[in-house]
Amino acid sequence: MNASIIGQMAVSGALMGLVYALIAYGFQLTYATSKSINFGQGELVMISAFFSLTLLNLGVPYWAMIPGGLLFGAIMGLVVERAGVRLALEQKSEGWILLTIIIGLFFFSAAENIWGRDDRPFPTPISADPIHVLGVDVTRLELSVAVGVLGIMGLIELFKRRTLLGKAFEAVSADRDAAELMGISATRTVMLSYALSGAVAALAGILVSPITTVGPTMASALILKAFSVAVVAGLDSGFGVVLIGMFLGALESLSSFYLGSGWREAPGLILLILALAVRPTGVFGKAVIRKV
Amino acid sequence: MLLVEDLHAGYGASEVLTGTTLQVKQGTLVALIGANGAGKTTTMRAISGGLKPNKGRVQLDGKDVQGLDASRIARLGLAHSPEGRKVFGPLSVEDNLLLGAYSRLPRFFGFRGKAQADLDRVYELFPRLKDRAKQASGTLSGGEQQMLAIGRALMARPKVMLLDEPSMGLAPVIVQEVFRTIRRLKEEGITLLLVEQFAKSALEVADYAYVMERGRIAVEGTPAELSRNERVIAAYLG
Amino acid sequence: MKRILLLRGTELIVFAGLATIPLLVVNPYALGLLTLLAIYGILLIGLDVTVGYLGQVNLAHVAFLGLGAYTAGLVVTKFGLGMGPALAAAMAVGLLLGGLLALPALRLEGPQFALATLSFAALSTTALNELESLTGGAQGLSLNRPPVFGHVLTPPLFYWLCMALLAVVWMLMRNMLSSQWGRAFEALRDSPIATDAMGVGTYRHKVAAFALGSGLGGLAGALYAFNFQYLQPQSFTYDLMIILLLGVVLGGRKSLWGAFVGASVIVLLPNLLSNRHLFQIFSGLGFAMALAAGVRGLAKKTTRPFQALAPVVAMGLLVVGGLFVENTEDWRKAIFALMLFSVVVGLPEGLMGFLSIFLAKLFRVPHAPLPEPSDIETILPPRPADGAPLLVIEDLKRHFGGVKAVDGLSMTIKSGAIHGLIGPNGSGKSTVVNVISGLYTPSSGRILLRGNPLPSGSLYQVSKSGVARTFQNLQLFGELTALENVMVALKGVYRSPLPLVLMGLARQEERQAQADALCLLDRIGLKDEALVKAKDLTYGAQRFLEVARALARKPDLLILDEPAAGLAHPDVVQLIEIIKRVHTRGISIILIEHHMDVVSELCDAVTVLDGGKVIAEGTPDEVKRHPKVVEAYLGQPVQPETGSGAEPLPA
Repeated sequence: MNASIIGQMAVSGALMGLVYALIAYGFQLTYATSKSINFGQGELVMISAFFSLTLLNLGVPYWAMIPGGLLFGAIMGLVVERAGVRLALEQKSEGWILLTIIIGLFFFSAAENIWGRDDRPFPTPISADPIHVLGVDVTRLELSVAVGVLGIMGLIELFKRRTLLGKAFEAVSADRDAAELMGISATRTVMLSYALSGAVAALAGILVSPITTVGPTMASALILKAFSVAVVAGLDSGFGVVLIGMFLGALESLSSFYLGSGWREAPGLILLILALAVRPTGVFGKAVIRKV
Repeated sequence: MLLVEDLHAGYGASEVLTGTTLQVKQGTLVALIGANGAGKTTTMRAISGGLKPNKGRVQLDGKDVQGLDASRIARLGLAHSPEGRKVFGPLSVEDNLLLGAYSRLPRFFGFRGKAQADLDRVYELFPRLKDRAKQASGTLSGGEQQMLAIGRALMARPKVMLLDEPSMGLAPVIVQEVFRTIRRLKEEGITLLLVEQFAKSALEVADYAYVMERGRIAVEGTPAELSRNERVIAAYLG
Repeated sequence: MKRILLLRGTELIVFAGLATIPLLVVNPYALGLLTLLAIYGILLIGLDVTVGYLGQVNLAHVAFLGLGAYTAGLVVTKFGLGMGPALAAAMAVGLLLGGLLALPALRLEGPQFALATLSFAALSTTALNELESLTGGAQGLSLNRPPVFGHVLTPPLFYWLCMALLAVVWMLMRNMLSSQWGRAFEALRDSPIATDAMGVGTYRHKVAAFALGSGLGGLAGALYAFNFQYLQPQSFTYDLMIILLLGVVLGGRKSLWGAFVGASVIVLLPNLLSNRHLFQIFSGLGFAMALAAGVRGLAKKTTRPFQALAPVVAMGLLVVGGLFVENTEDWRKAIFALMLFSVVVGLPEGLMGFLSIFLAKLFRVPHAPLPEPSDIETILPPRPADGAPLLVIEDLKRHFGGVKAVDGLSMTIKSGAIHGLIGPNGSGKSTVVNVISGLYTPSSGRILLRGNPLPSGSLYQVSKSGVARTFQNLQLFGELTALENVMVALKGVYRSPLPLVLMGLARQEERQAQADALCLLDRIGLKDEALVKAKDLTYGAQRFLEVARALARKPDLLILDEPAAGLAHPDVVQLIEIIKRVHTRGISIILIEHHMDVVSELCDAVTVLDGGKVIAEGTPDEVKRHPKVVEAYLGQPVQPETGSGAEPLPA
């Protein structure tokens, strides 16, 4: 087997894997503040992508569409928090698992009816011509994925470190009760984490749609892999998701090539179950001490 | 400044506080002492909002605050340094201090400038914190974390400060240092409610003291009155 | 007797009624629906095991339906075998694969568990699609219903088969849930830590439950295959999984009737959606109910505003949708979502949950009479208290990161003694006890029970070694009665293997367990509260119940972790009495306490901890006067004073 073809597949796959990493990063944001994640995040990616497509079709220029799409994602994130998460958190139950699944289902159905069931192309000014970098061919489009993912993650990390609100975010993640004693509203911080998670999901949709097209089925395609990345890396692992995301993407690309496209999903899923079996807190995650 | 009337509070089926009444006048240091399990920390939590009281009243500077969210009560001028200190481990010493003043500072940029004066004051009180300003607070020793917790509460420029078991888990030498600091704060006119397991140390610094037993105040008085009171000693070991 | 007659009677009538239907109803479509009802009934009973009894979101169940269906299909088409082997194989596949999935998955917390099941479902779909030579892939698999005992299964006969299987499954589950298994499931929901500490392996019960539920899913799958006689992987998707969840939640969790009601709803759903008129009536009804419940909840202040209003909004959307939307079929997912949302938020106990509260108010059915309490001598025979070392701790250390919670503790508990463990807050007492009982592993050091190393790091293993404990923060099984709390922990009574339990042949040991538990409650003074749910007991009674529960373990060593915490004085007196009575049985006790009067009155020996180290040891009187103890509890003054620091305290 030609080594350069393998390398090619691996690199392309790894760049796609960054999208999974981005969605997983969104999970980490909400998990940090509230120990909850949106099980319907795939649908959120999808409707944000559709919304962004609508903006483009209405004539909004591409670079103006991006903040619009992100804002929409943030708002949807807030909807999920209010309708699906807050009640369960107040009751200290895990009811948000089922509720976020339900909200995701609703979004799916709405998207099907508003935008139709077909996959649609997503126009982009970034060219799909390959350029040669370090021995492999990558398209500018694929590189833009990397730039977008790493860029927004960097921005949010900067926010967390440099602004007081960001520090408050970290404080709530570290110790919710103590943060409340500082006058920080934990509820508002959870809302913020869901808004950020939604915006991040929207960007993932915008980045990936030109390559894979927009359609109702993109939700389920992306979400399981994002879950795999989040869990395998650990829900509190920080940039571990980037590494695992790239690894998973590369693995998928290669298994699709060798085993056939139907088995594309399999390595990720098997990896997930194995990782959960061997190290439930994730490769980079931290262990939890039980208190009695 | 702080008034607590007939406070009832508890966890689930058990009611820990069965009618606690105390007050802290402005500029005084009041001690709340008593044996373990008497309800001292529960009282603090019920005052600062971590626990919602079942009955009774908490008044901060004339305003009723019982039943409000903890973050709301904090913003109204109550600073609580909790049992076990609870510093934000992954964050630096300086970040912890800045967060102490969260309700007063701008959220995005420019907060360091506004807080500089308060930071300087805290560093002057606790020089060791200045040395470790950029260090992750989780790596500090127990005594340093206690200093940080007190400093963090001071950053809020609070109307009333609650200090819960500052000596817990600390070596005696460090405990002495902590109490030296408390004396200094007292000299500066802070209004402070201090919960302590170590009765003697607390009575040394207090202007007034309450002794808790089984969820209510058993005895109260000035330290001089209390140190002669046999009921106090009985309440601890009897 | 009356109660059993009433409950079983209702079931008998319903099943008898269902059995006569093919004789009365000629419409094949209706018969088909009812057949499907039986199949979904079995499926939902299986799903309820994880969703209801274990309280987890299980997204793999639809995969077991599919795997069971394809297994049955392959057994019939590729191996040419009959109905019996097909059903058995489908169920076995469900059991096996369910068990295999459960082993890693059930070690996980809720969200990760849900993800693991979701992945399994996705993997199964992929396998079904890709293993074309076996399954026919996306083209599908056709099969014929095999004859049973030579008879071709006409629709009525097939209907009877499905109903009969439903009745059998119903009976088996009923037997299991009214046995120790049912109690164990409830217990591990209320407090997994206490469940392990009481010798009921949380993990193994969860795995068995999941495997069983999946086995039922497989069985339902086989019947599904024979019902439609055509299979394709696309039938077993995420959408169907949501519908199944809808059925379980709407019908009512933890309830066989709930599964039945839920199955009825699922079966009727497609009709509901295709008939617009029916849909409008239905959504209108739902909206009215949500509004009534919401207003009532707000007025009575039993629900939060969101909980009361959200279902109203959701059902309102359904009503509005029904009026304006052209084709309700297109919006079916949204309709399910809104329905499920309303139920999860507004009616979490489901229809049956709601009905049973209602019916309980109408019909007061007397409880079956309890047996006579056993003799204490048989349950807790007195053991020799010879003063030999029972528990020896050697240089125990336990740290959490930088914090040294226990820093070199050595201690010996003598057989038959009551040994106090005291110290200020943060001194490490609870950590020591948590290490002994197996919640934490030691960082270093040894613990020996009667000369043998005590298992470390496993509450379950330690409880099996003869050590029982109570908890500083109560860990009762709130939803179980006082009697059941003790029954769960009873050692040595439940010997029947699961198959016998399922067939209802373990009744004798149930009666024995009741009698034994009643005796223990009597010793604690809670005999009259035996049938009260633990969460409804007074605080004092709850503390005593934890002691009775620990005694059910028939321990050699009993650890009491602050048993008097928060107790009013009269209850403290009663507690002291109880501990003395336990002591007369020769059971050795480690007592962590703050109340010095309790310690003085009860303890033969006391160890005092401070900062994770032992600072004094001896009799209660010796220890009270020890200067280091005084210093630890009362503290030194800030300025050294002349004289006042080291005075002995009044006794």
